[in-house]
Amino acid sequence: MHVLIDRKEIMLNILKSFNDKNMEANDLLLPLINASNIEDIKIELSRIKHLDKNVRKALSRSILIRHLDAGSCNAEEAELLALSNPIYDITRFGIDFTASPRHADVLTVSGPVTRHLKIAMEKTYNAMPFPKIVIALGDGACNGSIYENTYACLGRVDNFLPVDIYIPGDPPTPIQILKGLLLCKYLLNEK
Amino acid sequence: MNIANRDLTFARLMSLLKEYHLEVNNINPNHLVFTIERDHLQNAIEALYKENDIKALFLTMTATDERQLDGKYKLHLIFLILNTSILVTFKVNLDQIKPSYPAVSKLIPAAEWFEREIHDMFGIVALGIDLPPLVLHRDFPHGKYFPMRKDFELNKEVKISEVPHQFTQPHAEGMHQIAVGPIHAGIIEPGHLRFCTIGEQILEFDAQLFYTHKGIEKMAEGKTIEEGLILAEHVCGMCSYSHSTAYCQAIESLSQVNISKRASYIRTICLELERLSNHLADLSAICSSGGFAIASMPAARFREKVMQLIFKFTGHRFFRGLNAIGGLNKDIKDSELELLKKNLQSLKKEFQSLEKMIIGSDTLLDRLETTGELNFTQAMNIGLVGPAARASGVDIDLRRDFQYAAYHDFIPKVHIGTEGDALARTETRIKELYTTFDLISEIIDELPSGKIKEEIPRAFPFPFQGGIGITESAKGSLIHWLMLDEKNKIFRWHVRSASYMNWRGVVQATKGRNIVPDGPLVNKSFNLCYACVDR
Repeated sequence: MHVLIDRKEIMLNILKSFNDKNMEANDLLLPLINASNIEDIKIELSRIKHLDKNVRKALSRSILIRHLDAGSCNAEEAELLALSNPIYDITRFGIDFTASPRHADVLTVSGPVTRHLKIAMEKTYNAMPFPKIVIALGDGACNGSIYENTYACLGRVDNFLPVDIYIPGDPPTPIQILKGLLLCKYLLNEK
Repeated sequence: MNIANRDLTFARLMSLLKEYHLEVNNINPNHLVFTIERDHLQNAIEALYKENDIKALFLTMTATDERQLDGKYKLHLIFLILNTSILVTFKVNLDQIKPSYPAVSKLIPAAEWFEREIHDMFGIVALGIDLPPLVLHRDFPHGKYFPMRKDFELNKEVKISEVPHQFTQPHAEGMHQIAVGPIHAGIIEPGHLRFCTIGEQILEFDAQLFYTHKGIEKMAEGKTIEEGLILAEHVCGMCSYSHSTAYCQAIESLSQVNISKRASYIRTICLELERLSNHLADLSAICSSGGFAIASMPAARFREKVMQLIFKFTGHRFFRGLNAIGGLNKDIKDSELELLKKNLQSLKKEFQSLEKMIIGSDTLLDRLETTGELNFTQAMNIGLVGPAARASGVDIDLRRDFQYAAYHDFIPKVHIGTEGDALARTETRIKELYTTFDLISEIIDELPSGKIKEEIPRAFPFPFQGGIGITESAKGSLIHWLMLDEKNKIFRWHVRSASYMNWRGVVQATKGRNIVPDGPLVNKSFNLCYACVDR
């Protein structure tokens, strides 16, 4: 039961994030989440056709993510890992992590870029096929956070890579990350 | 510990070290600083370790650049005298030109990494051993720049180039090398690993770490103590609260402020909650590395529930912003505490079924048993800490042996394993989880009312002296060593995390009898952070 309740919250959050005015879509999805037997779900699914275009897009296509820690404090990694637990279960949105940058659509980068990882980061980016999206994950990657530029710390990610989406947070919660990842689907369609 | 006992130990230490020390200072009632002559350093260490009634535990070792004060570099070695809660610092004055000292790691093998780090950062040489680069990679101009020296500017640009690391090369027929990282297949932090194998068996294993080295210790210099606290929270995400507590304790020991009972109790609750979430993450990781997704997923779900509980309880999933120097920033309502207690009771019941799943699976046990063994002697030599050390039979838990925060009122049961393999490390964590569940409920029952934050005096009595804060995080003991200047700004801050000590354990445990698929399993059975090692 816990899982169901959590999913409902997440769904609602995602919908809100896309379009605050779009209350109709909320009303449409709610019965689906609350549906208790398979027949109900079938009926509700048929109604999804009438959903808002934006919501349908968010639930369309699949993306593969390659994560890269460029010097974070490992809280971002913990939250990203939490996305694959049964409470958030991102694979049901068609999102998954891949082991190789060559298979990835999206590169998530966390932490301020360190001196020792700069070359590895650029190599990872270059290994990805087009179209590719870069997400700066967490305050460190978005704006350098509290870390000053030092001999070993080179600062925010967009000094080195073209960043498409910024997900700020210290660290961003799994739901915030999920919102950003769903946003990728729009960008990938456009790119 | 009573005062008579303490005085006895003090007198004993004085007589042991009387030939070697120049001067003795007392920073706070439990902390003795001996200034030792450089040439007598090894003798003094031998004297400290020789006697049976004094059991010294090596905690950390660091250096400071005090050339602007008295023209010297200083070396600081910190020990804990077990069963007494007494801290001993050996301070050694080193010359300004070509600073060097007789190598400590010949007597204390655990000090090897510290000596290499001090060599990288200060250019201080440990005589008699090899000092290959550790923290700064090979492309850094070693011998030209020393980042922790005071005359090195914080934001100095250092050219980056690609210089290959040096590893043990395949040296026999049929041997080949597997390179992993620094960008790994899973969502973990960066580190470069090399396995030398014959067939499936791992013969040699090397790890190149310090990829996420940001120079946090250097960043903190010249900052106020409040700014330093924020940096301390960001040293590591997983043990964020343990780090910030250790940092606060270091300042509280320097300013001789005793935090209120309520604050220390709430701190202890949070420290235990952090242990809960960490151990559950570790169990989940061990199961998934062992190919046992059936238990890995429930453990991950369980952990997420604890994280949500932490969020409701403190306002942040990683406890950030809760700790303040002198206590806490935020009080916790009694109703929230009741809710926490109720939730934990139901979680404890749920955990029992998870435990059955993990321990009751023959396939998983088959993977864990005799994997990554470390015996007692190896563990002591490496200086292992935390559950990994206890699984090898080392009976040390600083919650019991140092008794910070509220642990003198609630002494936790310490669980000792014998086998020292991945299974023992898993079982130690499971047992500790039960202790944690009980401990939190006990503390909530006894929680006194009162204020949560003490005033910190403007002027501290001990400028240019090292204050020490210790906590036993989920991964092991971590130490913050802090020196303030006369304006209350940070002069030098040194962090020794649990993972820093245990990484050499992973390297030791992986080579030898294990096969390649065991590599990740051994790694996860320690489940170390990279961020707080690299800093």
